[in-house]
Amino acid sequence: MLALQLLVTGLVTGCALGVVAISFSLVYATAKIFHVAHAGIYTLGGYLAWSLMVWRVPLPLAFLLPIAACTALGALMQSQLYARLARRRATHLVVLIASLGTLSVIQNIIAAVYTPNILQFPLDWSSRMVAFGPVRLNWTQLLTIVVSVAAYAGTMWFAHRTILGKRIRAVASNPMLADITRLQPQTVYIYVIAIASALVCLPGILVPLDLGLQPYNGVTPLLTATIAMIAGGVGSITGAFVLSLVIAVLQNLSLLVMPGEWSIGVTFFIFVIFMLFRPTGLFAAAR
Amino acid sequence: MPRVCIGLAALAAGLVITCASAGAETIRFGGILPLTGPGALIGTAEMRGVQFAVDQANAKGGIHGNQIEVQFEDNQAKPDQSILSFNKLTDLQHVAVIFTGYSGPTLAMAPLATRKKVLLVNAGAQADGLAKASPYLINTLPTIGGEIEVISRWVAGQGKKNAGILFENGAAGMAGRDDYLKSFAEAGGTVVAQEATQFGQTDFRPALLKIADAKPDVMLVVITAGLLQMAQEYKQLDLKFTVAGTTFFADPSTIADPSSTGFVHTQLRIDAPPDLAAQFKAKYDTDMEFFAKQYYNAAQIVLATLDKVLAEGKPVTGETMHNALFEIRRFQGLIPLEFKTNTASVPMDINEMRDGKDVLLKEIKLE
Amino acid sequence: MDFLYTYIVLAEIYVLLGLSTNLLVGIVGIFSVSQAAVFGVGAYVVAHLMMAADPLSFIPSLVIAAACCVALNILVTLPSLRVSGDYFVVTSFGIQLLATAVFINWTAGTGGANGLPGIPPPDVFGLSIETTQQYVMLCTAASALGCLAFWLIMRAPFGRLLRAIREDETAVAAAGKNVLRAKVSAAALAGAFAGTAGGLYATFLSFIDPFSFDLDASILLLTMIVVGGARTLAGSIVGPFLLLALPQVLTLVDIPTTIAAAARQLIYGLLLIAFMLFRPQGLAGERL
Repeated sequence: MLALQLLVTGLVTGCALGVVAISFSLVYATAKIFHVAHAGIYTLGGYLAWSLMVWRVPLPLAFLLPIAACTALGALMQSQLYARLARRRATHLVVLIASLGTLSVIQNIIAAVYTPNILQFPLDWSSRMVAFGPVRLNWTQLLTIVVSVAAYAGTMWFAHRTILGKRIRAVASNPMLADITRLQPQTVYIYVIAIASALVCLPGILVPLDLGLQPYNGVTPLLTATIAMIAGGVGSITGAFVLSLVIAVLQNLSLLVMPGEWSIGVTFFIFVIFMLFRPTGLFAAAR
Repeated sequence: MPRVCIGLAALAAGLVITCASAGAETIRFGGILPLTGPGALIGTAEMRGVQFAVDQANAKGGIHGNQIEVQFEDNQAKPDQSILSFNKLTDLQHVAVIFTGYSGPTLAMAPLATRKKVLLVNAGAQADGLAKASPYLINTLPTIGGEIEVISRWVAGQGKKNAGILFENGAAGMAGRDDYLKSFAEAGGTVVAQEATQFGQTDFRPALLKIADAKPDVMLVVITAGLLQMAQEYKQLDLKFTVAGTTFFADPSTIADPSSTGFVHTQLRIDAPPDLAAQFKAKYDTDMEFFAKQYYNAAQIVLATLDKVLAEGKPVTGETMHNALFEIRRFQGLIPLEFKTNTASVPMDINEMRDGKDVLLKEIKLE
Repeated sequence: MDFLYTYIVLAEIYVLLGLSTNLLVGIVGIFSVSQAAVFGVGAYVVAHLMMAADPLSFIPSLVIAAACCVALNILVTLPSLRVSGDYFVVTSFGIQLLATAVFINWTAGTGGANGLPGIPPPDVFGLSIETTQQYVMLCTAASALGCLAFWLIMRAPFGRLLRAIREDETAVAAAGKNVLRAKVSAAALAGAFAGTAGGLYATFLSFIDPFSFDLDASILLLTMIVVGGARTLAGSIVGPFLLLALPQVLTLVDIPTTIAAAARQLIYGLLLIAFMLFRPQGLAGERL
């Protein structure tokens, strides 16, 4: 059944998108930075994993090493770029442009080193199909769902049950107070971006595993994820994840009633209307 | 104000340097191709094809003792960048010939080529509008309309009466879609579905599913990137209709992948002799695929024309190159082709992909 | 000389866009990444009117296009009045992406991904503008007028009101001034500049397609005013001239062809970062 298959494929895309949304949301809600370079880290993770697999590094390492690298890169960005800009009291626009510059640098280094061609992961099992009744999914898609839901659960647990998580939420809710009460927001920001970078590396590897690697492909998912984050309510991890699922499923299901090329346009149209009438999002402030 | 002056002075200095370096002994041609952005996949292959041919010619001592140099400009497949680059190459470097690719930018530059009498050589774009865009634009491959007519007739002749169209939302894709609508109907078939995808997109599942829902016998395809992903997803979704297309299908990784078994397509005949392909691979660490071959071929045509112009002692201008090209008319590059009009007629075949190989089904002679 | 002239024409068109963006983003403080969409609408409207069955001449087309863009800009900045700065960023991204989707897919109106070829050259008071030289004169006149208008507005009470709103909106409102009306007027004016730029662009290139008005174009505009200098007239001029020249100047640096293009984009990105770190007020502007 067409609708069912579209629904399920939408859920898969939505799960991956959800992790991007959660990770971006972590950074935005805490450090208030529109960290578009996040899309660069997402892209880089995939390419690093590809290189490792081509060099026949054992699979678990090929997943873990890129995560470590992305974490390091994210932390570096915060401490060397964003922190400096914050010290000079740069406005949001300036930070955004610096982040855009960083994104451009990352994407183009990747394009120069790996060429702009679409690259395929050298794995056999990733595209084998499994049938669930009338619905067919490949192993990568299944893995995406499992990993994404685990990432969501892990982040929720981390935010609500660990000391660092609570410290992050405290800084996010009142940076000025945090500064005074020795919560050391600047250190927290580094932790936050590091965690976010590690998280976004997961869909960064899984999505290209299914669809192929391209250097400039990170921006659209990031923007859609941002919409999910805002529509879900900034600061709400659940909101970001759920809305990602909703948007992805809606985009797929909209094919039933309209030509494919309009589905992205419709998403943004709905979003704009949303912003006019309910700008604080669906799950606002509910963490 | 002083800051404005510094900025403008730096700019002026830059332009002066560019002018000064344009007076060397070598013969310079231009190339305006997408070298970054989503078009870079194809643009880079095209650039390499030209460069490879030129390097070979230079290694043999050049043409009549003159070394050839090609200056490539990145237009990111955008028309305004193309026009800036076009003017730069003609005004500052005084090039007589410019290689181009992609329908949109080529159509934008065509009026300029006419006005400035610069030979514009296209070996990759196939939108139908290119045939008449400018007397100074030559196309070394037929427009897509010709191929689509052939494949539509073939497929209808095989008894496939209902078709779905999968097309890329761009100049080439939309022209192809319109051609399919016309040709397939003329061949006696009906189009039951059409779905557009974006250039650079690799998730074709929603489009494939939607087309499958209309239960076609065959899916007519015109996309220029992501073919391998499309083939794999087609296989994964266990779809059964035939898949048909044009020369855009001739992507080595797609042919090699078992998912593409059963795909039929027209194939403009262009082949590189094995040792040439091996040299290319050694140099660029990638196979010499369709666009690289096309542009190698086009470069050879230009070099042969240059040879004639120099042999006759004429200056190398767009006008002399243009006239010489039409005087020669028949060329033997990687394949024999003939310019009866601005668009070369080239023989084509119908191929089917089977288990990693592209197998010839039928040879077609084009008018 | 054509190359230099083409560069000047494009730079001057972008100066008009720079004035528009500077007005909206720099002076009023509405962070908009959808100015390229408005630019695009101006271009498409002029193209349409000049190629219609009963074609209009250039100046009337330009006026209508400017009017459309004024209306559009007001509509586009409306969300900013309901939604605070940060949220509006994403809304603005959304508006730009929506506009690009419409440009690409509404084939009947915009020619779709194929674009609109064959736009006729403009005629100004009976004189047909065909050569690049004449274009330079036209665009110089247009951008000079635009700069003059901008300068006059900034010196007028309206300009001071806008600056005051940027400093402290609440105080201005408390003083009894109509903040909403001032913002909307500024947005309208920015729209007029953008629409005019669009008309000039369409007739100069004689071919427009949706990919000239996408998110990358909006970001380029933002970069122009930030690097050139925000909130000032000089910045709106320096930014476009410099940033359009940069890719051309970078081609003088010798890099192997296979990575040349990516390498240049990389240098571009590094320059942005460097500017933001060390000179955020741009070359000729005030602190954003």
